[in-house]
Amino acid sequence: MTDSQSDRQLSAAIREEMPPLQAPAAVRRRVREAARRAAGVPTSHRFISARGGRWLALAASLAVVASLGWWLGLSHASGTALADQVLASHVRSLMPGHLTDVLSSDQHTVKPWFNGKIDYSPPVPDFAGQGFPLIGGRLDYVGGRPVAALVYGRRQHIINVFLWPVSAGSRAGGGSPSRSRQGYHELHWTSGDYTYWVASDLALPELEQFAELVRRG
Amino acid sequence: MTRVGALIFPGINPPLAESSFEGADLEPNELERFEAVVLPHLDAAYTLARYLTGDTQEAEDVVQEAALRAVKYFDGFRGAAVNDGRAWLLAIVRNTAHSLRQRGGVVTAATFDEEQHSDSVADEDPAVDLDRKESRALLREAIAQLPAEFREVIVLREIQDLSYQEISDITSTPVGTVMSRLSRARKRLRRALGRAGKEPGL
Repeated sequence: MTDSQSDRQLSAAIREEMPPLQAPAAVRRRVREAARRAAGVPTSHRFISARGGRWLALAASLAVVASLGWWLGLSHASGTALADQVLASHVRSLMPGHLTDVLSSDQHTVKPWFNGKIDYSPPVPDFAGQGFPLIGGRLDYVGGRPVAALVYGRRQHIINVFLWPVSAGSRAGGGSPSRSRQGYHELHWTSGDYTYWVASDLALPELEQFAELVRRG
Repeated sequence: MTRVGALIFPGINPPLAESSFEGADLEPNELERFEAVVLPHLDAAYTLARYLTGDTQEAEDVVQEAALRAVKYFDGFRGAAVNDGRAWLLAIVRNTAHSLRQRGGVVTAATFDEEQHSDSVADEDPAVDLDRKESRALLREAIAQLPAEFREVIVLREIQDLSYQEISDITSTPVGTVMSRLSRARKRLRRALGRAGKEPGL
């Protein structure tokens, strides 16, 4: 069975699509310590299980959220505060394990997932054909209410789309339609029934191109 | 051809309940061998787990659970060189991913059936421009939608660079089946890309 040229081409594309990854340092450390412990060699650190580690991570991120909330409450007016919350949510979503609650590139899986979790059914378009594939969805909390966050990819970049209904006294946010901070860009607009916030580290022109696709649905 | 992985690789298929850390035991003089033969392959283990599960958190759980199994069954494993441990650890990772999935009640989209998933469509090999971004997105999508049995041979062969024999040992599947799954998986991926080429509006 000799590999044809197209097989080699395909192999190269697959390798590029699924590059070798590095095990997280925490996993490496836990495994090494488990082995030492099993061999009866004393370890300097207490063995922390994956689940325990996750609780620690959750506690840590809650602490960050709490202090961020406190800081926001003290120092910002509502428009800016909303942009800051969106940024904080975006950054937090990039931390390991926080990105998606429902991991699927299928819009017909992601959309119904929100049923019963929020009181609206957000539009979930897929732009894989335009190079912005849908990665999944997540429940988030922005502007004092649970909101839908949709996650899209662009090469190695992650785009978060937060959206919630304009009506029902929710805050549209006001302020400028775009903002850049800490290397992240945020775009904001209201169209149809929804208020949109988009956050990413993607270059601004590409992010605007993506926003245009979202606006057109 | 009935070379079965479990005969070559001890401990790759224990029930999950047995693999808890309690009671795991490693002879003190074996620790060095474990660190030399198994630990260097944690990146490969994580890579495999990540692409099999599609989720970073799940991949971490799988690798950690697999490593505990490896500790527990290490005395039955005779490999002494760095390269010996790779296929063994990957086999454990692969089986751990499967059993965690089953325990978690996660059901894969379609149950696998060699017949049902065999391709009756005539070989078509459209010239596909793999550099196009749309094709890449579609390739990613097509990989994600492969049946688990197809995706795992693709990952083991293309990403981990394993031989047919090693893949056969790891998956406890005859070499012939490995080769045919691989060829059919590639055909599917090529066809997904080919379809993209014909439908520019997609």
